[in-house]
Amino acid sequence: MKVKILSVPVQDQEKALKFYTGKLGFVKKVDIPLNKDSRWLTVVSREDQDGPELLLEPSPNHFEPAKVYQNALFDAGIPYTQFNVESVQQEYDRLFGLGVEFSVKPTEMGTVKIAVFNDTCGNNIQLVEML
Amino acid sequence: MLTKAKMTFYQTEITRIRDTCYSNKRQIETVVGTRHYINTNFDKGLNLGLLSHMCFTSKFHLLRLFKRYYGVTPKQYLTDKRIEIAKELLRKGVNITETCFATGFESPSSFSTLFKYRVGLAPAEFQKRATFTKSA
Repeated sequence: MKVKILSVPVQDQEKALKFYTGKLGFVKKVDIPLNKDSRWLTVVSREDQDGPELLLEPSPNHFEPAKVYQNALFDAGIPYTQFNVESVQQEYDRLFGLGVEFSVKPTEMGTVKIAVFNDTCGNNIQLVEML
Repeated sequence: MLTKAKMTFYQTEITRIRDTCYSNKRQIETVVGTRHYINTNFDKGLNLGLLSHMCFTSKFHLLRLFKRYYGVTPKQYLTDKRIEIAKELLRKGVNITETCFATGFESPSSFSTLFKYRVGLAPAEFQKRATFTKSA
């Protein structure tokens, strides 16, 4: 078995695609129309384009419990998904400059440094740097 | 961070976990220092004796600390690092023997065996596929 696809539930796929590619710097990998308001839409890390794909899936719009769960995590400030970066401080400065909202500023937690931002599609996302 | 009254559940948890799990600054400095040393010296003959000598601890104390904070032993971490660098070099077209010695492995055969076990492909096959993907 291989880890190939991980899902991030998003409330608006087009908006998510813009945010994940335009601001975060991911690259669109697969885009297949399924029906009029849903696509099989994945992005990958620019420096690891054959690595795991992130599926931006519209589950909150089609499955009520997914929406409830996403909202509860969001309100509690919990990031369900995290991405590793070389420098949390640099990414924080870059993203903050692009208008991204952070609920946790760069914070050292023992052997890692973390920060948490709002992906504007219903999720808190955590950045992690190994110290 | 926000003021206490406005803190989310997650922010409260971060503070709690930091205080309970990461309050020993000296231990953290020791393991972070060891990790950095491995990161910059993975191509040399590293062993637990040398690493513990560098940070003035006993071998077993360092082993326990490193595993406690990073979840893997220094040896496992070193192997991960070497494999990661080996993949980068092979992708760049560096030949297998050079890659083996540049990443601190002792012989091409032990390198090939470990690489195949960890990556699922022998170094030559990995390099062939990487080159093919790049040119495709």
